[in-house]
Amino acid sequence: MKLINMTVNGDKRVAYIPDGRVMLVDVLRDQFGLTGTKVGCGVGQCGACTVIMNGEPVTSCTVLAEKAEGSEVLTIEGLAKGGRLHPIQEAFIKAGAVQCGFCTPGLIMRLYALFSKNPDADETAIKDALGKHVCRCTGYESILEAALLAQKELKALV
Amino acid sequence: MHNYVGKEIDRVDAVDKATGMAVFTADIALPRMLHMKVLRSGRPHALITSIDTSAAESMDGVKKVVTGSSCDILFGTCLWDQPPLANGKVRHAGEPVAAVIAETPWQAAEALKQIKVTYEDLPYVLDPIEAAKQDAPLIHEKNGEYRHISYVVHPIKGSNIFHHYKLRKGDIKKGFVDADVIVEDDFEFPLSSHTALEPHAAICRFHHDGSIEMWASNQAPFVLRDVLSDMFKVPASKVRVHIPYLGGGFGGKSDVSIEPLVAYAASFVPGYAVKLVLTRQEVITGSLLGRGMKGHMRLGAKSDGTLVALEASMYFADGAYGDTSWAIDTVAGHNCTGPFEIPNCHVDVYGVYTNSPSVGAYRGYGHPEGHLMVNRLMDRLARKLNIPLPEIMKKNFLKEGKVNALGQRITKHHGDIFKCLDAVYGSIFTENVPREDDEYFYGRGLAAMMKSPKMSTNAASTCYLQMNVDGSIFINLSGIEMGQGVHTVFSQIAAEAMNIPVCKIKVYKDVDTQFSPWEWQTVASMQTYRGGRAIQDACHKAIELLKYNASLVFHSDISHVDYDGQYCIHKLTGERIPIGSLARGYSYENGLTVGIPVQTTGYYRVADLTEPDPETGMGNAAGSWTFGCQAALIRIAKATGKVDILHFASAFDIGKAINPKTARGQVVGGVVQGLGATLMEKISFKEDGNIKNVNFPAYAVPRIKDIPHKQTVFLFETPNNEGPWSAKPMAEHPIVAVAPCILNAIYDAIGVEFTRLPVLPSDILGSIDRKE
Repeated sequence: MKLINMTVNGDKRVAYIPDGRVMLVDVLRDQFGLTGTKVGCGVGQCGACTVIMNGEPVTSCTVLAEKAEGSEVLTIEGLAKGGRLHPIQEAFIKAGAVQCGFCTPGLIMRLYALFSKNPDADETAIKDALGKHVCRCTGYESILEAALLAQKELKALV
Repeated sequence: MHNYVGKEIDRVDAVDKATGMAVFTADIALPRMLHMKVLRSGRPHALITSIDTSAAESMDGVKKVVTGSSCDILFGTCLWDQPPLANGKVRHAGEPVAAVIAETPWQAAEALKQIKVTYEDLPYVLDPIEAAKQDAPLIHEKNGEYRHISYVVHPIKGSNIFHHYKLRKGDIKKGFVDADVIVEDDFEFPLSSHTALEPHAAICRFHHDGSIEMWASNQAPFVLRDVLSDMFKVPASKVRVHIPYLGGGFGGKSDVSIEPLVAYAASFVPGYAVKLVLTRQEVITGSLLGRGMKGHMRLGAKSDGTLVALEASMYFADGAYGDTSWAIDTVAGHNCTGPFEIPNCHVDVYGVYTNSPSVGAYRGYGHPEGHLMVNRLMDRLARKLNIPLPEIMKKNFLKEGKVNALGQRITKHHGDIFKCLDAVYGSIFTENVPREDDEYFYGRGLAAMMKSPKMSTNAASTCYLQMNVDGSIFINLSGIEMGQGVHTVFSQIAAEAMNIPVCKIKVYKDVDTQFSPWEWQTVASMQTYRGGRAIQDACHKAIELLKYNASLVFHSDISHVDYDGQYCIHKLTGERIPIGSLARGYSYENGLTVGIPVQTTGYYRVADLTEPDPETGMGNAAGSWTFGCQAALIRIAKATGKVDILHFASAFDIGKAINPKTARGQVVGGVVQGLGATLMEKISFKEDGNIKNVNFPAYAVPRIKDIPHKQTVFLFETPNNEGPWSAKPMAEHPIVAVAPCILNAIYDAIGVEFTRLPVLPSDILGSIDRKE
């Protein structure tokens, strides 16, 4: 058993890693109760477990927990502040991009990473980012709409 | 005019889901909880000759290792043919052979490796036509002897056919004698995975008092409760099932799948909660699959295009166990006519045991399979007779006065498929595109559909309503929110019925069989319709109670009391009382209270349903129909064979769109799921009988790059006396005719008659090469 230190959604946290192939997503979900991060495939192919680690989007089901030592992690729970939703969250609601909701947190984190780095991302870049995710409910139309709406709202804030 | 129905309000569950606060089964951690992992056979058909669990039992953290060697339980709802854990024999490669319960999932997984099982392999069979033959390896020696409901499940003893549905309408011989033209072909709709993004999960605790408690990702809590009650001989009142949010279902979480296994394992460690969360690989190998049909259809018509005869055989590779699929086979049979009147029909559907995972409900429930056949043949018939396809369709559509395959007469209020056809035809066939250019071939396709819900004849929804002193209300139903937006629609229906704003309505989000009213199950696209009617019923009763309470205060007859959503008003004097003040009866200043607390129960059941007659396959088995048409404009890349959907148009007559935005969401998503089946998805097997493509990306599902460049959705609203404000089933329907629509378009583009799914770019390139 090992201990690791990390900063999650701005808070310093310590986690113990049980024996076995324990992933970042397991620590987030089981130790910190941050169950908004979902596991859809376990092999980094569906995007449901996407979180931001040291500023980069990662599929937390493929990051070994011990590699997160000293890192800064942002999860879906860290986006809404003081009872106010993040504009990307608002856009998903407005665009009707949420159905079963299982892919939603990962998609929102992916777009958060994209727009943080590249506020002017064009539609191709947005589709490339969303292309790393599987959604079985929406047919993606409303998700793309949400992304474009969020981008507009975020730019209006600057 | 409506205030809340027909409005595009935001989903009531969206904030929970967008903030990561929505709780799904896998998110739940309970006190004294252990974790479970499952050893699967890895062999498609074998006898278990020994299992040695001793090494596993002594490993760190391991609490219990469970096998099926002394398990005599068979579970089911209509056909009791499945053990929760293999006992003596395995019938597919994903079948559970042992389960380890340990402190952590990692310990359980380690211990699995130490279980030693020896097998004697048996010949196996995956193809349903092969499996149905007399000399095929027998998968269930006791087929025909298992307990089953004999009016609905028709096994053929000594074979792998556990269900034979036959439809005999009219005189098939005469029908084909009368036919001037006959078209026919073989078709295949392969096994596929629902791919709800949430993997199946369940937690079960056997309490020391003998009661059973379960949390599960399941669409059918009361069916599950009754199955557990039957398995363990515990009264239903001592089984409690909780269903949190569901991360997609599409039928793959209906009836039961992994829950009997988890419960059986948990029964060995009373007092502990035992949790199983499937991996994606296990969802594919060890839960339920969908479709899996091989069939042949023959269609006969007069020279003017009038259909006179349909003959079909359909073989379903229903997998190792049959309880979750027999009803799909039945409905696939009687609805394989599509939305057409055909006077003479002769259909045989065989539910066949095969050495693959069990098949269960999958969005469309038997309809996509038959609709593939009939729509492709209609396209061919039109060409052969040189009659435009829309014209030949219109000639044969089920409309007022026509009789469907079950012998039921269609009325005007069942919907206007003509309007649907004109709408999609107008969208797609008027677009000006070349036949081909340097890079692409272009083509257009059209297909028509009809779907009726298959349900238990006693299927009902019930609703509890409770009014609060502030005039807000609680609505408690057991319709499962699995993404389709049912809580939002329920809120709108209650708001409209009570004339109270949506923000004052709270629909309970967790279903709990201990507190929630009985509901058959959340399948067959019936919640808006059936659940909605139950809400209306409860609301009408609540308004009556409010009026009654007011009449006591007014000292007048109830007929003199009006209700407007805020007040009860005396029609003559104009006196009014806020409805919140009447919610618990009315209390005077001195405390004296009169009247009745406003808590009501509503219900709705589609009346007078019967099961199809065992001999003719006909009867009043469909309670409702929804009609629609779909059309597509595609292009095919000459270099790669890749199909791009330039424009896909769908039109359905859904009676009433309670929330047009969520309704459109169902259509757009359903079309893309249908495109996956058409162009990408197929469960493939290795030589050894194990599934080859057990995770993404090997099991390929549509991603954002695969979607149509444009989707157009028409929702027509023919008034009817069925659902609330005419709203009818519509959520599965967008998937039903997608495949034939695209295959018809591919024919239009390159002149190749595809009849087997999926059609991959390599298939298209190969066929173009052959033509040249």
